[in-house]
Amino acid sequence: MNYNKFFTKAKEEGLEALELYITKSNQLSFSLFKNEIDSYSISDSFVLSARGIYNGKIGYATSEKLDASTIDYVINNIKANASVITSEDKQFIFPGSEKYSKKNVYNRALAETSPQEKIALAKELDAKVKSLDSRIQEVETSYQEETEEVMMLNSYGLKLSSKQNYAVIYSSAVATDETGETKNGYDMKILTDLNELDIEKVAKKVVEKTISQFNSGPCASGKYKVVLDPHCTSALLSFFIGGLSSEEVQKKSSLLADKLNQQVCSKKLTILESPLTKNVFFRYFDDEGVATTNKTLIKNGVLQTYLYNLRTAHKDGVSTTGNGYKGRTGIGIRAVNVSIKPGKLSEEQLLEKVHDGLYITSMQGMHSGLNPQSGNFSLIAQGFMIKEGKLAEPVSLITVAGNLYTLFNDVKEVASNIELQTNSYSVPSIYVKELQVSGK
Amino acid sequence: MISKKLAIEVLNLATATGADFAEIYLEEDKTISINIDNCKVEGCSDALTYGAGIRLLKGLQSVYGYTNDISRKGLSKLATSLSASFNDKRCVEVNSISKVRVSKHHRPQIEYSTYPKDKIIGMLTDASKVVLEYDPRIVRCNAMFQCNYKEVEIFNSEGKQFNDVRSRGRAFLIAVAAKPGSIETGSAGPGAQQGMEFFLDEISLVDQAKEVAKTALTMLDAKECPSGKMPVIIGNGFGGVIFHEACGHSLEATSVAKGLSVFSGKKGTKIASSIVSAVDDGTILGGWGSGNIDDEGNKTQRNLLIKNGILNSYLVDNFNGRRMGEKGNGATRRQSYKFEPTSRMSNTFILPGKSTPEEIIAATKFGLYAKSMGGGSVNPATGEFNFAVNEGYIIEDGKIAYPVKGATLIGSGKDTLLKIDMVGNDLKRAQGMCGSSSGSIPADVGQPTIRVSEMTVGGRGGAI
Repeated sequence: MNYNKFFTKAKEEGLEALELYITKSNQLSFSLFKNEIDSYSISDSFVLSARGIYNGKIGYATSEKLDASTIDYVINNIKANASVITSEDKQFIFPGSEKYSKKNVYNRALAETSPQEKIALAKELDAKVKSLDSRIQEVETSYQEETEEVMMLNSYGLKLSSKQNYAVIYSSAVATDETGETKNGYDMKILTDLNELDIEKVAKKVVEKTISQFNSGPCASGKYKVVLDPHCTSALLSFFIGGLSSEEVQKKSSLLADKLNQQVCSKKLTILESPLTKNVFFRYFDDEGVATTNKTLIKNGVLQTYLYNLRTAHKDGVSTTGNGYKGRTGIGIRAVNVSIKPGKLSEEQLLEKVHDGLYITSMQGMHSGLNPQSGNFSLIAQGFMIKEGKLAEPVSLITVAGNLYTLFNDVKEVASNIELQTNSYSVPSIYVKELQVSGK
Repeated sequence: MISKKLAIEVLNLATATGADFAEIYLEEDKTISINIDNCKVEGCSDALTYGAGIRLLKGLQSVYGYTNDISRKGLSKLATSLSASFNDKRCVEVNSISKVRVSKHHRPQIEYSTYPKDKIIGMLTDASKVVLEYDPRIVRCNAMFQCNYKEVEIFNSEGKQFNDVRSRGRAFLIAVAAKPGSIETGSAGPGAQQGMEFFLDEISLVDQAKEVAKTALTMLDAKECPSGKMPVIIGNGFGGVIFHEACGHSLEATSVAKGLSVFSGKKGTKIASSIVSAVDDGTILGGWGSGNIDDEGNKTQRNLLIKNGILNSYLVDNFNGRRMGEKGNGATRRQSYKFEPTSRMSNTFILPGKSTPEEIIAATKFGLYAKSMGGGSVNPATGEFNFAVNEGYIIEDGKIAYPVKGATLIGSGKDTLLKIDMVGNDLKRAQGMCGSSSGSIPADVGQPTIRVSEMTVGGRGGAI
């Protein structure tokens, strides 16, 4: 498709600027049940997201159809949608940054490995999980691979592109013990290189997560010293980072408003955003075409910067931080490859330091049980008791309640066990002074 | 969207290597989204979703693929790639296709595409003003609107063609109330499988605006909810999310067929208190989760899931039905052509009982009244769930005593269903988006006011 026609038409129709953001993706996914292929799926898809400025206002149109009618559909809708905007915010289509740090993160070997080899790998993992414990009744293993090519063009002549691929392998087990009690557990890995997959290790983790929960139940209600594992830490941190969005700050919906250069959490926490880290989540330009940079968000508990896109930065009279993120009706804000600077203690040493408390491995229902504005949360959780510095009996069906901002303020220690999570965050286990637990 | 001739050609390519069933699902969806913040229109977009999904079944195996290229070349390529998964002799051949008549019960009277966008914006702005002017402590009102018009065409190797049209609209209002160091929200999201007439004639967004502002303010002054085990009264309408999460998902063939659900193999047995009956009804006129046909072309049904506490029926799709020895009962759904369809809920609710809500409150010495619920999630293998309470009150001596915030309800579906000891007469449905393996789909939850004799309540206000 010759995209120049879009720009010609835009000019004819009186648009001041036009941007096209084209995504092409291919997927392969399959799942196993009883060690046989249960479902198998392939796809290729295309989406053209366009935005344009008309009479100083911005309009949006998206199309998965690309034929002779697409140009009119896109340009006419941009004009119509720009015409109803009443926001006075200055809008931007970006001419380009001075320098971009493009890196090749596409792994040809992953794309060229045959589906048969990928199936064999998943079957091996699946069989391994089943073989590790006789109480395991069912195993489900799935594999998903995606290749995504992005091309961004605008009427200022900016042209940016990226190509990335990754695979996610997921295995879950359901186990039943002699009393009929049922437990389940899973583990997943996100990879760019299948050679990085340690089948033995993943299988052990799935089985351990599943069977370690047998004979678990609620602990006594009360206040506990708590260690959050990296997975729980990453999920909670993503909401905290949401509070750094300049959009939320400007609209008085963040409790981190007016806190620049002030202490917003524990001195033990230094938080970075590193979009240029060469991994699955690498991105060298944001969804507005601005070059991304690695930066410190919070240094020893002190807030260094909010996260901006071009529009919110203009409002505050600052430069964008390259955190523009495409949403359905506009450019929002997002951070990728966020990390907590690791501490010196291993997780074992951290548990010894806590001595008695609760180790939490799962917190569910954050989309409803956590209010991102107030930070209040009350979540169903499971994990283990910590007794005399070691993990003891399993705990389930409890709720932990607290406040996000208080929690990150109450971090007493940060461990060194950094793990990259599927939400792109790289974080360790953290030791929190206390949380309210409701159990028996 | 494609000719019968092309459909036959693609279905025969797909079944060449031994698939016993093939299906082509084509879709063209036009969605309009509007975002208004503090009465300013910040964003407006049109989005065209367009593509086809092809599904092949062979015994208990399924193969699925999708593409945006619905030309002969694109569909043939996809069908051929998918058929490479099997290596057997042809067992079905399609010679002709006949169109099955689909009655369009849920046709919009006023189509959104013909209704001026600025009038929709006017309606949302008026409601936003009501929120913002309600009290000085209201600092923000976010209003959103989304509507769509979706055309669907299905062909299958049984020689059938189905065409359907689905149009939905939904408005969202979020009120943010703040005082120093504290922020709370209230929200509402009414919607229907109807046209603009739903907003013009059936509901009043202005009335809902007052409610969301009131909820945000009530919560701003609420005490932290105490924690512990106590009787819980769950309000009508969105309170039905408890049943949706704790029971509905576990009745979907997706988890039942493989024995992964707590309710696998429990048909005909008591799974709930005998005062509980519940349905999944995809036929409700204009219902948010309703449909004329499901995404396999089966007519939607009213399925009685639980009858006086006894498990009566699962929600079954044709494919999982093979494993269960049951036929699909009109419950197969998907977000778009990008998702392989499976059994899902439509409008799922507990049927009304005899008590008035006032009687239920008066009969409770101490407990939590969860007037308005937030979302929740459930582990289908264990049935363990959690829900957030958006607006809660402590009941003392049969009376609403004071508001509480930050409450969470946790438990397991099978225990909770058995502990429902009062069912109200005030059935109401509410709209939501339900996420599962075949994507995010519109679904109604619902119930009358009910009481659970004992539930674990989580909160930050200390133990009771």
